[in-house]
Amino acid sequence: MSNNTNMLNATCPACGLLCDDISIDGATANNACAKGIAFFSQAVASPQPLISGKQATLEEAMKRAVEILSQSQRPVIAGLSTDIHGMRALTPLATRLKAGLQHINHASLQRNTQAMQSAGWFTTTLSEVKNRADVIVCIGTDIVTHNPRFFERFVWVKDAMFTDPNARKIVYLGGEKLDTIHGREGAWILPSRAADLPDILAALNALLLNKLLKADSVAGIAMADLQKLAETLKQAKYAVLTWAAKDLDFPHASLTVQQITNIVGTLNQSTRAAGLPLGGSNGDYSINNVHAWQTGKVLPDLQDAKPDAQVWVNSFNAEAPPSFSKVPTIVLGNTNTPKMPWFSHADVFIPVATPGLDCGGTMMRVDSSISLPLKQVRDSNLPTLADVVRKLESELP
Amino acid sequence: MITLLKNGRLYDPAHGKNGVQQDIYIRDGRIIDKPNAAEKIDQVYDLAGKVVMAGAIDMHSHIGGGKVNIARMLLPEFRNYTEPEAHICTPHCKHHATPTTTETGFRYIEMGYTAAFEPAMLPINARQTHLEMGDTPLIDKGCYAMLGNDDYFLRLLHQKADQKAINDYVAWTLHATQAIGIKVVNPGGISAFKFNQRKLDLDENNAHYQVSARDILKSLSRAVHELGIAKPLHVHCNNLGAAGNFETTLNTMGASDGLPMHLTHIQFHSYGTEGDKKFSSAAAQIAEAINKHKHITADVGQILFGQTVTASGDTMQQYLNSKLAHPKKSVLMDIECEAGCGVVPFKYKDQNYVNALQWAIGLEIFLSVEDPWRIFLTTDHPNGAPFTSYPHLIRLLMDKTFRNEMFDKLNLDARAMSNLKSLEREYTLYEIATMTRAAAAKLIGLHDRGHLGVGAAADITVYTDQADREAMFSKPDYVFKDGELVVKDGKVIKVTWGATHTAKPAFDSGVEHDLRDYFEKYQTVQLDNLKISDDEIADNGHGCVINHTNLKGEK
Repeated sequence: MSNNTNMLNATCPACGLLCDDISIDGATANNACAKGIAFFSQAVASPQPLISGKQATLEEAMKRAVEILSQSQRPVIAGLSTDIHGMRALTPLATRLKAGLQHINHASLQRNTQAMQSAGWFTTTLSEVKNRADVIVCIGTDIVTHNPRFFERFVWVKDAMFTDPNARKIVYLGGEKLDTIHGREGAWILPSRAADLPDILAALNALLLNKLLKADSVAGIAMADLQKLAETLKQAKYAVLTWAAKDLDFPHASLTVQQITNIVGTLNQSTRAAGLPLGGSNGDYSINNVHAWQTGKVLPDLQDAKPDAQVWVNSFNAEAPPSFSKVPTIVLGNTNTPKMPWFSHADVFIPVATPGLDCGGTMMRVDSSISLPLKQVRDSNLPTLADVVRKLESELP
Repeated sequence: MITLLKNGRLYDPAHGKNGVQQDIYIRDGRIIDKPNAAEKIDQVYDLAGKVVMAGAIDMHSHIGGGKVNIARMLLPEFRNYTEPEAHICTPHCKHHATPTTTETGFRYIEMGYTAAFEPAMLPINARQTHLEMGDTPLIDKGCYAMLGNDDYFLRLLHQKADQKAINDYVAWTLHATQAIGIKVVNPGGISAFKFNQRKLDLDENNAHYQVSARDILKSLSRAVHELGIAKPLHVHCNNLGAAGNFETTLNTMGASDGLPMHLTHIQFHSYGTEGDKKFSSAAAQIAEAINKHKHITADVGQILFGQTVTASGDTMQQYLNSKLAHPKKSVLMDIECEAGCGVVPFKYKDQNYVNALQWAIGLEIFLSVEDPWRIFLTTDHPNGAPFTSYPHLIRLLMDKTFRNEMFDKLNLDARAMSNLKSLEREYTLYEIATMTRAAAAKLIGLHDRGHLGVGAAADITVYTDQADREAMFSKPDYVFKDGELVVKDGKVIKVTWGATHTAKPAFDSGVEHDLRDYFEKYQTVQLDNLKISDDEIADNGHGCVINHTNLKGEK
């Protein structure tokens, strides 16, 4: 990072909240959470293209990548960890290569998508939460594991237009290894395994519909507590039911997302409530949206694909290994990639600029509807993903 | 380079030309005077017998932004394609309720439309809207920014802020979001629904702010008028879709004290409560009122039968409509203390009493409003039908026999409740050119579009005159965009990128002082990040911004 003493406003793409109140002052990212600090302080580690781990020029690396892709019958472009502009460049490449596309977060994206496509939903956005929510139920999640500043920025705020922020009721319903400290002392914790949520949510919805249940407890939660939760929700002026799809990691979890949104539907018959899918990383929501407007559909899930080559895009984070092992792999990505234990599998590595760090960009927040500019905060002279992809596309036979 | 279009029959209502045979010369994307004899003519198109009009302008079509994209995500069943790009150039693709951005540009230009305006852009969603439009090739575009349910504005109104403060905020929004007009949706109602109010009429108060829909309309129509932008306040009235809502609509016409207002998709707001089913046509009353009130313009929002999806900012009414969703699912959202949205798929059936009558009501309005300069051809894409059905709609307007044949297939009870067959009118080519070109350009303030005079942008559509008007308007012989031939025989032959039209009236930048304070306290993004720069729109070399500041009344 440069020694520039001028404060620079930045937007942090490390999670779906896209905090845009970050000020970069030399090596310090003010207001950033631990994830944000890690993001802004990552080094430009290996700015050289590599072929089978050996230094190469960009032209040589490009040539090798073209060879691999030309020989492939069933290529995929996976990872897709980039911003809107990067994805806009990848779509024509995918069309040209007839390549499948898969985001690194495909499993959690699918849980929400399937729920929405089955039954629709009623959701809200973060400013509405900040100004209206009087009850917030965190279902199977502590939120902060994924979105560390959620409570700081949207819950325990000084001013809210339509509710007393300090009087908000926070409920944790189910989930493992929760960090509930951010819900403060008044938080109400109803512990259960995440995998028991289907039973618990079914019972809660039944209670909201005034159905009698002949049981004393459901998955370890006393019926009296569930009844009290139902009453709390009914009395709320604006209840927000939130979840993080990554934490609902059990079979048929999309049905659990649907149960949550069903409860929202029940509540909206008499009061106001809304769902709020949280989490988000590696540009997942942005990429899904670009794909939808460019192709008319959400991102597919290629779980059963048997590709014979992959382009792995990991602009934001080098750690995760590519989706498909044992196939020729071209990495377009983060300069820290060559340090990763999995890297020996990669045939070609072409470093690209990380949006929000080495170049500007645009991303969508996890609550959708809100897109924000990412700022360049350092000079690394790395090419953007779009530059590299367009060059690659132009060199394909 | 000079291009000559010779011997065409011009339908150019802005210049009173009704089928006049006249040559057009084009240079550098503009229509020019006949050059002197020494200048070289590089290209000549002989258009003898052809119908020549300016490129058509769709003044209300949901072509960009969050709602449309939610519809794409919600409805995979609308696309039965395995190859992501396989559909792009197919001429008779049926799935245009949720077209891709590429398809949007292609299908519009292939019908001779050279511009389309997104009518419901949330300021917070402006960046996404412009990104989607940036991926929409060939046509020009623009947006109306939604205000009137945002808490900042409602607080101003509640505090009885002076009109100057409102005007500055409205102008600031036009600048920040790169819009060309202002829209209000269910004035006060979207906000009221967040406080669990389930209905709001014109003179009812939003319970939290104690301001009425009428107060909101008065304030915003005045702001738009005083700022001097051409586009009148775009109004989606209260009570959309509700039986008996025509009275709200009639009363709304009086809410601006005679200042210009445009009432959008008025078909959805022209329902009475007569008959056994307590749902009837009030088209006659609405048309009569439009004829009388010269400050009012309207577009119809015609419905056509088939599967589509409705996408609206009107969360309050879309929540009610979600019970009628087909397929049975919908996405609703409260959004950022600004507004909301409701995406509800819908299938209009000709044997359904209400749907059949909706169809008839739209056509009754078209045929009963006398002045084609004040009524506009829309389906409120995709809400009434996809925009690709415009040629069919034009035939319904121009061909009484065809219209009556269609009418005879409708639900019997609906037929008994409509006077459509007694309406003899058939629109002329001149009137179609007025409502889809000249009047739309005038309404929005695009002074160099929508006509064929010297100095106009050479957005020109050439048709073969055919008795079957649907066939004629489905497939132009040629479409020129900014002087370049981009469509031949109804197919795109060249891909270009259109401009984004905006209006940026002057304002007191001091407005940012209070706005910044409000954003820091209550919103969740930095005020400066709401602003869209010209550079963002020009990104990739695919776009550019054209500003039409304070051009009202100028020529």
